[in-house]
Amino acid sequence: MCLGIGFAGIMSTLFLGLNWAPSVSINAFESPAAQRIFYWHVPSAWAAFIAFGVLFTGSALWFFKRSPLGWRLHVAGAEASLACGLMAVWSGCVWGAAEWGTPWDWTDVRLNTFGLLTLLALFLVLGRQSQPDGVETRDTFSTFGLYGFILVPLTYVATRIWQIRHPGPVIAAGDDGGSLQSSMALVLLIGALSFTIFIIGHMMISMRITHLEQRLEQAQKSLDGGN
Amino acid sequence: MVVQSTNGRFDVGLQSRTSMAAPLLSLVDVEVRRGMSVVLTGFNLEVASKDVVVLHGKNGAGKSTVIESCARLLPLEKGSVHHHGSLVVDSEGRRALAKQPFGLTLQSNGLLGDETIENHLTTVCSLSGMKTDILPILDAYGLAHRSSDRIGQLSGGQARKVAVIAGLLPAMLSPQPRLILLDEPDSGLDEDALAALISDIGQLREAGHAFVIASHHPEMMKCATRLHDLESETNQEQPKCQPWKAVGTQENVSLLSSRTGHRYLRSTRAGIARNGIAALLVLGTLLAFIDPINLEKNMLVGFILAAPFAAGLAGDPVVYLMREHRAVDWWRAHVNRLPAADFFAPVLGFTLSALGCFLFLDSFNWKLSLIGAGVLWITLLCVRFIELSTMRLARPNAVFIRLLLPILILPWALVVEYLGTL
Repeated sequence: MCLGIGFAGIMSTLFLGLNWAPSVSINAFESPAAQRIFYWHVPSAWAAFIAFGVLFTGSALWFFKRSPLGWRLHVAGAEASLACGLMAVWSGCVWGAAEWGTPWDWTDVRLNTFGLLTLLALFLVLGRQSQPDGVETRDTFSTFGLYGFILVPLTYVATRIWQIRHPGPVIAAGDDGGSLQSSMALVLLIGALSFTIFIIGHMMISMRITHLEQRLEQAQKSLDGGN
Repeated sequence: MVVQSTNGRFDVGLQSRTSMAAPLLSLVDVEVRRGMSVVLTGFNLEVASKDVVVLHGKNGAGKSTVIESCARLLPLEKGSVHHHGSLVVDSEGRRALAKQPFGLTLQSNGLLGDETIENHLTTVCSLSGMKTDILPILDAYGLAHRSSDRIGQLSGGQARKVAVIAGLLPAMLSPQPRLILLDEPDSGLDEDALAALISDIGQLREAGHAFVIASHHPEMMKCATRLHDLESETNQEQPKCQPWKAVGTQENVSLLSSRTGHRYLRSTRAGIARNGIAALLVLGTLLAFIDPINLEKNMLVGFILAAPFAAGLAGDPVVYLMREHRAVDWWRAHVNRLPAADFFAPVLGFTLSALGCFLFLDSFNWKLSLIGAGVLWITLLCVRFIELSTMRLARPNAVFIRLLLPILILPWALVVEYLGTL
């Protein structure tokens, strides 16, 4: 349900962003047409931060409370972080190639910290698949989830402190904010809501799958004669 | 004696607890999970001087878990482990070195294939703060003629003998009671070696040392003073025998060569093979495509520091070597700081940067060479930290740990950019 609504919203955002939202000033951008990827890039990055938050919460719940729900949140958060992180990184690279002439800058703090968060999510997803389920696996990956979250506030403040290539904030920009036209802000809002709903749906399904995997493993252990 | 059970908790060794003031080993209310199973719960055990506790029972019962918990290799969900009355590990995450040396033989040998038998046993002696002539001990196990051979050249049974001797050595050296932990010491031993082992255990017991042994072997079970199946315990009388005469003399031998990995790197050249070659390949690739004469200043600095950076990203060669046969676990049980290539790294970094200076600047620049040494060392430290963080996993080599290494590119790039402005 959530996935369906979210997906429809994302498609609507794409349509509105590409066809309805006004063009930006040609003087402000090297490649004004490429700017429209912004309606995909910013909401996906927003959803990625929500997913990173879920990943952190799940990691903390498992690490400190040994909560099975915490582990399911960790798994769901890692998968959602990877999906949204890749969408944000990919769209950012496309936009960067058009606007800056280079898809990536190894000296830009925002780009690198966000890229690392995505790599961390990839590490957690692939790593979990390579290991048998157990407290050793869960403890180790939860620790990485907890430490990795240090990058989230760093990523958020990066453009405020070291603005090298990535532009400053367009949302929650403080006194300097509010530069978006109302129609642009509306499309962005629809995008953010759609991605949020989509990612919540994705995580709910992921948690359900993890729960079923755990039940299957328990059943297999019972057949093997274990506890 | 066996054995009271209260609320599923088995309290054993009551007799020794009341009669001995400071047991050599005590496990208090220990709970350990492995995988998704709780292997031990509410487990208590006290081992006093002259005890030989043989843990037996079916596969998966938790015998190795007890041994590894005693050696502080496993995190505890509940409870604590004490050696000689001092805490060594507890469920709050506290870990302390045992104040007295102890012997350990893991199920995997914990040996590095490129060490010689003599080197390994000398290291064990050094960890006990003692020295001795190891040849008579090796002779008892039929290994005297192989003392200078690398462990990798031995058969499986011979390597097992070395691991067992390494486990027994702290007790053989010391007149003071020592704790010895042996996990399946009989596996792979021939009859003569097994007889020698049983004889040594008897003599060492008489000398006051204590043993915890995991084994199914009937001969090993016969030499127990306490037979323990992790649920209940029975006592056995052992005949008197000649006590072992300690063969060690006190000497604080420096472990610098092992701790800095120099001993391992010298014999294997793993540092050159892994880190050096990676760096030289990077240098060669850069030179193949780019003419240094046309480069800007910050690019030149980047090219010079690329080689030490690549060498650092290849990881710590000593940690790589210690993955063999759980050698890293053997070391982790005995020391807080694992052997690492802390001496080799800056030397290689300096050399590679100096080489880069000659290639790209046509002259030696000592400042850049020193910075290169620092770059390699810090990069290596970070990679080692990340790699060791996954050592507890069931399959640490299968995890995609190198996905996280791009975290090091940003600081490296910022350093290069900063140096380019100077």
